[in-house]
Amino acid sequence: MSAYLNTRVSLYSERLWTDEQFSRLIRIPHAEVPESLTRRGLGALARGYGGSDPLSLEGRIIAQLLDETRVLVRPLTGPDRQFIIYWTHRFEVSNVKTLLRAKMAGERFTSLVPRLIDMGPFARLDLEDLVHADDVMELFRRLEHTPYADIVRHARRAFEESHDPFILDATLDRAYYEGLVHRAQPIEAAAGKPMRDLMASIIDRTNLVWLLRYRFNYDLPPARVYYLLVGGHYRFQAELLQRLVTQTSVESVIAALPPALGRTLGGARSIMEVFCSLEAEAAERARQVLHSAAYPLARAFAYLILRERDLRRVRVVLRGRHLRLSDDAVEQALGHTACGVA
Amino acid sequence: MFRARPLNHVTLWCLASEAPDVALLLASHGVFDPVAEEDAVLPDNPAEVYRDVFLEADARLSRILEQCGMQAEVSLPADAVAPSLAELQEINDWLRETWQVCSRCKESELRVEEDRRRLAGLKETYARLQRLNLDPSRLLRPDSLLDARLGQVPSANVRRLREALALAGYVLSPFDHAEGQTFAVVAGPRREGEGIGGLLSQAGWRELPVPAELQTHPEAAREYIEQEERRLEAAAGIHRQERVQNMIQFGERVRDASIRLALARPLAEAAGAGLRGRRHLAVFKGWVPRRAMDAVRAALEERFHGRYWMAVREPARDELDRVPSLLSYPRWLRPFLPLVRSYGVPRYGEFDPALLFAIAYVLLFGAMFGDVGHGAVIMLLASFLRGRWNWLRVVGMTAGAASVLFGFIYGSVFGYEEWIHPLWQSPLHDPGHMLALAVGVGVGFICLTLVLNTYNRFMAGRPWDALLGGGGFAGLVLYLAMASGLYSLFTGDGFGSGKGAVATAALLIIAAYTWAETHAKPGERALITVIETLETATNLFANTLSFLRVAAFSLNHVALALAVFTLAAGMSVAGHWLTILLGNVVIIVLEGGIVAIQALRLMYYEGFSRFFSGSGVEFSPLRLQRGVELGVRS
Repeated sequence: MSAYLNTRVSLYSERLWTDEQFSRLIRIPHAEVPESLTRRGLGALARGYGGSDPLSLEGRIIAQLLDETRVLVRPLTGPDRQFIIYWTHRFEVSNVKTLLRAKMAGERFTSLVPRLIDMGPFARLDLEDLVHADDVMELFRRLEHTPYADIVRHARRAFEESHDPFILDATLDRAYYEGLVHRAQPIEAAAGKPMRDLMASIIDRTNLVWLLRYRFNYDLPPARVYYLLVGGHYRFQAELLQRLVTQTSVESVIAALPPALGRTLGGARSIMEVFCSLEAEAAERARQVLHSAAYPLARAFAYLILRERDLRRVRVVLRGRHLRLSDDAVEQALGHTACGVA
Repeated sequence: MFRARPLNHVTLWCLASEAPDVALLLASHGVFDPVAEEDAVLPDNPAEVYRDVFLEADARLSRILEQCGMQAEVSLPADAVAPSLAELQEINDWLRETWQVCSRCKESELRVEEDRRRLAGLKETYARLQRLNLDPSRLLRPDSLLDARLGQVPSANVRRLREALALAGYVLSPFDHAEGQTFAVVAGPRREGEGIGGLLSQAGWRELPVPAELQTHPEAAREYIEQEERRLEAAAGIHRQERVQNMIQFGERVRDASIRLALARPLAEAAGAGLRGRRHLAVFKGWVPRRAMDAVRAALEERFHGRYWMAVREPARDELDRVPSLLSYPRWLRPFLPLVRSYGVPRYGEFDPALLFAIAYVLLFGAMFGDVGHGAVIMLLASFLRGRWNWLRVVGMTAGAASVLFGFIYGSVFGYEEWIHPLWQSPLHDPGHMLALAVGVGVGFICLTLVLNTYNRFMAGRPWDALLGGGGFAGLVLYLAMASGLYSLFTGDGFGSGKGAVATAALLIIAAYTWAETHAKPGERALITVIETLETATNLFANTLSFLRVAAFSLNHVALALAVFTLAAGMSVAGHWLTILLGNVVIIVLEGGIVAIQALRLMYYEGFSRFFSGSGVEFSPLRLQRGVELGVRS
């Protein structure tokens, strides 16, 4: 089975984009875009090219990711399979957040449905049922009969106390990443450093960016920020996180980071720059794992990370072309999108 | 029974304001299958909002019925009129308000239940708290310098919360655990501002109500809990009463809403299936059985008195693959349909193989598993199947009957061949003859599939394919010529030059047609032509030889019985009959199962795959809600 997965990942990795290919995609005539997308396994995006609906583009990108994940998951069993399937659930967590926000705002289901992500074979929620909840409390009740029951029950109580939508988002996000770390642990034992590196790049980036945002954008007290972070793992152990949350500025947080991490961030001054640096580092690590003889699951995971990054950038190019932005403007946006900004 | 009923394509124009009633009328007749067709002249979906409102209202009604435990018995008067959008909106608004009332009631009931569970845990907690050497009334004083709180938090969050609280100068000290919850004291210096409230909320912290007299009066906790229990019992009673009151208060109107929604459903479904329109006009497009046209026209005329316009036409040749198939079967044939449907639905105009399947499947099963005793047991066992396996009862009993029939032909009862005289002969009596006969059956079956395929291709508007294709008439000629030639060869008469010439001519025609139909570079085209033509010929014979299994399994049946008898012969009387019994059970279960699958395989791979596309779509008309009939006078 590992031979199958390795071969499949190697074949898929041919579909990844280089910076030159992105530059070409920005500049080629409209008529050639569908073919260019199809050549890189993006037939579904090519078929919808020219459409004006950004939600539809987003949906097709996620559908593509889920479709490739479905193929990669086929030979997997046990914790490996659970981990990759769980990796797709962040889209479903996003659905839960969309549903909660929409119900808080009293939106009608007709405007809500197009914004929900179709999880296809990975779906665990009956969206058809959930969208018809009349208010947020009813939605909570319905969610308590889903696999998200534990997270939601907890979030509901917190929400009842404060009625702060931020609590819901933060609780859901944190619970998701805690679950990811929990599921990665047995795999890290088998796959060793490559898998640990990939997870570290995701969790450390998430923790550092959340820390900076919660602390300096939302102005939350250190204790609360610390609680909202993903438990101490990888390069950010509990003591380090406790030290970082008590810092009083972005610069002092960066200065208090371990030297290796500080070097990665280079001269980053803002939260955005921090994110960009860590994102670039994560992509580089994923590329190294993908082109190594690492544990097959680690290679598959690395591919999924890189593919998602690529598709985010493809989205920017296609939207830029649709909005008739200049090539330079799209190129510039692409640079930011590599960091997930656009 | 052999093909789908002829349908007409109908385009029905009406006033958008009357669209709900038109849809209701069409649904009450149950003969209109709406179809989504893009039309630049008709850019709107005039019932889109109607559908959205309906879906919302319908979901709310279902929830109210479920919540209040009501059953909506819907009977519609013959002259019922579908609600307009405004009326539907009004119903939806009322249902929303009603649901909010019901929902609040439900929410309160859930809270009472939750509080009851919590109270049960508190009993033990108070007992422990009482043993602590502290006075809660002093500890929790709001004017104290110490900000102390007593409460519970999910146990999974304790470690993290403790670390976070430490950053704020607080300590967390657990003193009890119950059902995934940790009971703890949180204490730290009292400060101005938000403090730790946000953090505790985030962690799912819940304050614990502590009677002030807990330490000074040990009975206080018990009294408090008893008082709470009484309060919750009273609250539960009020909510129960409230629910009953809701049922009484809303019952009549809920029933009325059920009726109105049942009347609105046809248009909502038509809108979902692609109703189009423009400004004040709505256009229903779909398929209606040809023989129902007059009835539909008369009903429209009676109801709308010319305020509609209907265009009717036959299905166009290029849309045949999109026309739904309206199939009807006699009652006795229906149990076999799941086995045919698992392969597919016949396309419009295509030969419907249901009857052929039923006959051939049963006969093949009987021929491969011919035994009076085993067949009777299968019939008996199948007769016990009920409910969702009802269809299998008929299939099983018919297959068992065929097994009994072939049992008489082979002269076999539970493997004993001396109990009855065979009407023909035992398979093992002349295995060669059995095998030859099986090939003969295969030749006949393959010829039938080629004839049916030729017919299907004609009906699908592909006459050249029907005449010249390998699966059509040319393939049939090739097959018959080669089968006849090979038969002559085996009987010692030689292949025959005439048959050889016919076979060669047919093969060349098939090759030429394949060449003409292939669009590729010359080399690739030649390769495809050679391979496909050869494949046509080899497939025909491979499929024929596949029928050898019919004889092989009939021989296998006898051989298995002989093996059981041989084993039984070496045993005592009890062991003998036990072996016979168990051997027969194994034969019925194991071999019977294998034969059932093999017969199905022959039908699917040697039969259906040669002529049956199975790519059709079943005719699915607009209908009134399940269990609802129009015409009951209210």
